[in-house]
Amino acid sequence: MKGYFKKISEAKYYLKGNINFKPTIGLILGSGLGELADEIENPIIVDYRHIPNFPVSTVEGHAGRLVIGKLEEKRVMALKGRPHYYEGYTMKEITFPVRVMASLGIEQIIITNAAGGINESFVPGDLMIIRDHINFGFNNPFVGFNNDNLETRFLDVSNVYSENLVILAKKIAKENNIDISEGVYAFFTGPTYETPAEIRMIKFLGADAVGMSVVPEAMAAMHEGVEVLGISCITNLAAGISDRPLNHDEVIRTAQNVRDKLSIYIKKIVKNI
Amino acid sequence: MKNILVKLEETKKYLLDNIKETPKIGLILGSGLGTLADEIENAIIIDYRDIPNFPVSTVEGHAGQLVIGKLMDKQVVAMKGRFHYYEGYSMAEVTFPVRVMKAIGVEMLLVTNACGGLNPDLYPGALVAISDHINMTGNNPLIGPNYSELGPRFPDMSDAYDKDLIQLIHKVGEKIGIKVHNGVYVSISGPTYSSKAESKMFRLIGADTIGMSTVPEVIVAKHSGMKIMGISCVTDMAIFEGTETISHEQVMEIADKTRPKFINLIKSFIKEVSMQ
Repeated sequence: MKGYFKKISEAKYYLKGNINFKPTIGLILGSGLGELADEIENPIIVDYRHIPNFPVSTVEGHAGRLVIGKLEEKRVMALKGRPHYYEGYTMKEITFPVRVMASLGIEQIIITNAAGGINESFVPGDLMIIRDHINFGFNNPFVGFNNDNLETRFLDVSNVYSENLVILAKKIAKENNIDISEGVYAFFTGPTYETPAEIRMIKFLGADAVGMSVVPEAMAAMHEGVEVLGISCITNLAAGISDRPLNHDEVIRTAQNVRDKLSIYIKKIVKNI
Repeated sequence: MKNILVKLEETKKYLLDNIKETPKIGLILGSGLGTLADEIENAIIIDYRDIPNFPVSTVEGHAGQLVIGKLMDKQVVAMKGRFHYYEGYSMAEVTFPVRVMKAIGVEMLLVTNACGGLNPDLYPGALVAISDHINMTGNNPLIGPNYSELGPRFPDMSDAYDKDLIQLIHKVGEKIGIKVHNGVYVSISGPTYSSKAESKMFRLIGADTIGMSTVPEVIVAKHSGMKIMGISCVTDMAIFEGTETISHEQVMEIADKTRPKFINLIKSFIKEVSMQ
């Protein structure tokens, strides 16, 4: 574990040398949603591959750059592209960027993602605030995270998603006539999309949407004392909810169609945090 | 470490050098079904240990040979014995033979297994066409970098088990007087059988049968674009009253008793299935 903290601190000092302010809000931009990063003013753009120890994302639609600058007068840092568990990274690797952002001082993080809709009221293009999650990844970023502080050894995850941020996000949606739902996000490892039987199962167990990210990052952020807001873009209906086969192109296309709506929404949230 | 593409090329070359006609149908023969491989005509039999890059199976009842030849006038390749995740193989090793089958020209995978029954309508000896699965192994053979030469990054699993083939096996079963059930198969890592409470939970979340194989192989077969048919033989009921427990011997005994029926069904299916 010492090695891990040392790696975080190496990445932190590398980035600190590149910026002259303390970022306060972190953003993780999911599949097809990365362009919000282009609206960041006076950006300092750092390729993941230049940051010491940073995992490099390999998937199409995930660019792999850290963009640091001003958005709505707030100092933000955005991950454009994220490493995923299904790419073969360890849980510690996929949560590494969040820990680096936390070490640089972010106080809130907004995690966006593309998700499959399970709740029958969803249609592709809908936005869902994550109220809670089900970790179906059969793994946990804190496995092996031994330290003497028992409070952080057995982490309480009953409130990963900040109630204050949920209230704020709902208020802003209402003020701006943005339709928004709330729900439970289930994390599956992927990279296969789920089978209809798996979707029936996770629906029965209480999930509204399903995806291959968010949960490890959200838990790590919470562990670091960062307030978390998760917003899913329902890019497709999950297997069996619709008869149509699933494909990544459709996910990216829907995400791109919703991008403007989501960007406006996130900017308003950032402004009001 | 050798890249999977390189490994596949080596294994493919070795097999193609050893066979005359390339098979279009692949068979994975589970616990107790190995004797079906003995019915393959003009068979070329290759020990797994002689095949470059192949893992070697360790479990009793799983022989470990690739048998290539004719069954019901169709060119087939059969795995007599398979690799299980619980033996300690990686998911990549467990599914490597499926990749190899695809590489030598297999278009349809017929995967069989022995399983536990969860649905109370099932019974030891019942034959079940797999309609869908739930992956409870906690792992996925496609985790890691994707090779687009082998398949898409995000395979759709909404129709992994071919509906036409399921229909066909029901038709075939009716014709020869063998009842075929349909069911959702849940795969666990094993090697422990599920506890009673786990079995009840799996039933509650929608599974009809439970076993320790098949799902990784099917995921990779789907990734490679193969047509898939799965058939399970129920060897014991995983949800039962009382305290009676099951042993591997009992599983083998039911598998033995059901074998003639199971083999009859598979052979009739292979006879009827049309391969373009």
